[in-house]
Parts: sequence; structure tokens; C-alpha cells
Amino acid sequence: MSIRTCRADTQKTMNEPLIILDNLSIGYNNQPVLSGISLSIARASFTAILGANGSGKSTLIKTVLGLIPPVAGCINTASTSAPLAFGYVPQAFQFDPIYLLTGFDVALMGVYGRVHPGRIVPQIERAFTRECLRAADAEEFARRRFAELSGGQKQRVLIARALAMRPDVLVLDEPTVGVDRETKDLVLEFISQIHKERKITVLLVTHDFAAVRHYAEQVIWLHGGKMSLGSTHELLTAERMAEMIEMGMA
Amino acid sequence: MEIIYQIFSPDFLLRNSIYTSVLVGLACPLVGVFLVMRRLVFMGVALPQISSTGVAIALSLPLWLGFNLSEHSSHSTHMLAFIGSITFSLTAILVLAFLERRGRGQPEGRLGTAYVVAAALSILLLSKNPYGEIGWLDMMKGEVIAISNFDLGLTAATLMLVIAVMGLFHRELLLVSFDREMAIILRKNVIFWDVLLYLLIGMTVSMAVLSVGPLIAFGFLLIPALSAHMVARNMRQFIVLASLIGGLAAFLGFCIAYKFDLPVGPTDVVLLGFLYAVTWIIARIVPHGGLRHPHNVQ
Repeated sequence: MSIRTCRADTQKTMNEPLIILDNLSIGYNNQPVLSGISLSIARASFTAILGANGSGKSTLIKTVLGLIPPVAGCINTASTSAPLAFGYVPQAFQFDPIYLLTGFDVALMGVYGRVHPGRIVPQIERAFTRECLRAADAEEFARRRFAELSGGQKQRVLIARALAMRPDVLVLDEPTVGVDRETKDLVLEFISQIHKERKITVLLVTHDFAAVRHYAEQVIWLHGGKMSLGSTHELLTAERMAEMIEMGMA
Repeated sequence: MEIIYQIFSPDFLLRNSIYTSVLVGLACPLVGVFLVMRRLVFMGVALPQISSTGVAIALSLPLWLGFNLSEHSSHSTHMLAFIGSITFSLTAILVLAFLERRGRGQPEGRLGTAYVVAAALSILLLSKNPYGEIGWLDMMKGEVIAISNFDLGLTAATLMLVIAVMGLFHRELLLVSFDREMAIILRKNVIFWDVLLYLLIGMTVSMAVLSVGPLIAFGFLLIPALSAHMVARNMRQFIVLASLIGGLAAFLGFCIAYKFDLPVGPTDVVLLGFLYAVTWIIARIVPHGGLRHPHNVQ
């Protein structure tokens, strides 16, 4: 078994690294949750992040997204011409239902990064948003109020919004939490499809082992303040999965 | 009808008062919508009171420094009151928002304390200020009567500025309020947009407090927005309807107060309460109401 527990040495898993975490410590208010993370995420790869609640999965992706500053270390990106564009799909239940936004209003937010403040959103960007909603099979939710959609429907709108950002990297934080089995499969199948078709790098936080085995190419496993990185087949052995189930992760 | 004809006649004595009321009625709900969406309703209660304390301190300051306020024009007095009001509003909103964001302590407790201390301080300061008796206590109660052309001009300019900025940057203000993380990922300067929103809220509250008093300012900030939320189907309807309810209540309230010789401010607030009840009933009848929907109730 060749599972590598990363402490300080950089690992390069694929030929073309897109995001390189160099001796990174992550946490809140200068209190590290996880330290010494060194790894690289390859361009057009599909990486799943696994770990028990409180292991630092969300903290890790929020640090990569620039939402939380690193406690120590740095994050380098391979993109030279322009800053890396992230498409973020947060957990759908976190949005306050008091906002009277339609599915289209939410998806349209994906293009706001390309529209200067005070300017009207160009027709071409609105059309592109509709295209993204269509691609995410969420066109029928465009006119419905976002707060009234089901968990799976909201996820599709949020994926459409992330696609509207024209991302290099799609980051999904437990996109199948609170949705039924059938919708879960549809959402994951769709993510896998756009990963293959558009060559988008995917970072997926999940508890779903079956999904990881089926779709992910590599796994980052966070446990006990340490991080393990390996290919799906290397990491998700029956022995390791039994250990994870025992820890209450599944 | 006769009253409306009188109100619109060019020589109507209280012309400036009704213009000011309607302006406040139209503008306050626009920022009130953001207070409701950001779940800062208690801030909507505390801010007008803190703002009026700023007025009281600003008017007491010349007295403490040994100046005679009566020697200066009413324009200077009004400007001084505006400066006091806006300074206190902005300082309070920035400090309270900062503490809210830190997520420590009890926000309701902080706002309640700020409200009650500010109210008591206003009364103490004005009771020891001889100028307090010649109109400022009336202002605190919501008597919209003696509004000069200068006061109306200042109110109109401030509120038009607020409406223009809000209209121009509505998208950014909404994004930062709805999904802060998304705004950061899109490389929006969230601190700048937050401060701009607070600045707009502070300016509107200050001007409304100076024009109609803290109680009425609070009424116009929140009741139209809460009413509109019950029946609106999208953000555009929500904002437009809130502003129209505010403007309509201000106009009708003035007409009723004029007809029955009542104080304008309290009449406006009671009317807003009535409109709130009417929209609540409409929300029960019309499908797809806002707050009425079970998904939207928390």
C-alpha cells in the first residue's frame, strides 16, 4: 500500500500541477487545524477530499479559494496569464430564504466578476447564464424562487452559477448533502460529465465513498490533524474504508 | 379631494412638509430592504435613536463651548444637527456591524442597550438645552411642520444621492449581502461595499431623523419593507413595492393628519401599521407570497 502521509515534502501527483500547496497550515484566528500540507492538484484532475466532521475539509477548500488566509505556508497557482478562476458550489442550505431571488438571479451572479460595478449586465452574459442553466439541467428553475427549490434543484442552480464564472477549477463543498439518492447520482454524474467534457479541474468535498470510488481520480484524506494523498485505488482499500466507517465518516 | 387640492395648491403653507414626508417615505424603505434582508431589524430600531442622540449632542456642543446658538441662522443649526446625526449614525452602524461580524456576545443585547442609553441621553441633553424646547423635542416626537426651503433642499439632495447610489450599485450591494463568499471569490472588495451600504443607511437614517424624528424614521425604515416582503415575488418587486408603500403612507398620512389636526409622524406610523395588516391579508389570499411561504419562515 503506497499511501503517502504528507508533512513537509511536496508531492506531484500528475504531470501538470495547477495548484501547489507548499507547507500550508490552515485554521481560524491563527489557530491551525491542519499543518504541513504540501501537495499539488493537477490540471483537469478530479480530486475528492474526505474526512470526518471537523477534520478541516471545508477549511482547506476555503483557504484554497482565498476565503480564509493561511496560518502559514503558501498556495501557488500555475496559471500565468490571468489569476485562476474558481467556480465555487457551496452547500445549498446556507442561503437565507429571506432573499426573493429567482434561480436565474442566483445563476447570474456567476458573471458579476466580468461586469464592472454600475454597468448593466450585457445581453451576451445573460444568454451565457441561460446556457449554463441549460447545461446544468436547471433551466426550468430559472423563474422559480431559489428559496423554494429542493436541495437537488438548488445544487443544480449553484452549479450553473459556478459554470457561469467560466472556471478553471470547480470547487464543490458537499454538493449532495440533504438530497435523495437519485438526485445525488444525477448531480455527481453531471459534475463528472462537465469535468470530462470541459477539462475542468474538480475539487469535491464529500462523505460519499461510492461517489469517490466511481468518479474521483485522487483522494485527499484528512484525519487526526494529518493528511494523506493517493489515488482512489490506493487510498480507498477495504481496510481503509472500514477504518473510515469506524470513525463515523460514512 | 378638497384636502388633496389644498395640499397641491402653490400657496399651501405646509408644502415643504409634505414633500419632505414623501421623500422620506420613498427613500427609507430602500435601505430598509437591506436591513430586513441582512436580518438587522433591531439595528433599524437602535440607529434612529442613536442618530437623534447625535443631534442632541451637536446642539448642546455650542452651549458647552459658550456659543449662543440663537445668533446663528436656522440653516447653521440644521447643518450642525445633520453633522451630529450622521456622525453618530455612521459610527454606531460601523461599530455595531463590526461587533456583529465578530460573532461574539449578544447582538440583540448590544442593540437594546444602545437604544435605551441613546434615548435616555437624548432626553437628558435636551432637557438641559434651552433650544431643545423651541422645536427639537417636537422633532423627536415626529412633528413635520416647520421645514424651510433649505431643509427641504438638504433632505432632497441627500435622499436623491442615496437613491442614485443604491440604484447604480444595487447588484454589488445585493451580492455582498446574499453571498459574501461568492463576492470574495469574484474579487469584489467586500469591505468597500459593506461600508458603502452602511454609509447609505447612515445618511438616510440621519436625514430621516432630522426630518421626521426617530420613531417615524424607524417606521419608514422597516414597516414598508416587511409589508412588501409578504407579497413581492422577486427582488425588483420587493424594492419598488416597499418604496411605494412608504411614499403612499407618507402622503396619505399627511392628508389624514391635516384633515383631523393630528401630528403627522404618528399618523404615518399608524397608517403603515394598517397597510402592514392589509398586505398580511393579501399575502394569505394571493399565492406565492414572500414570508407566508413555509420555506421562507424561520
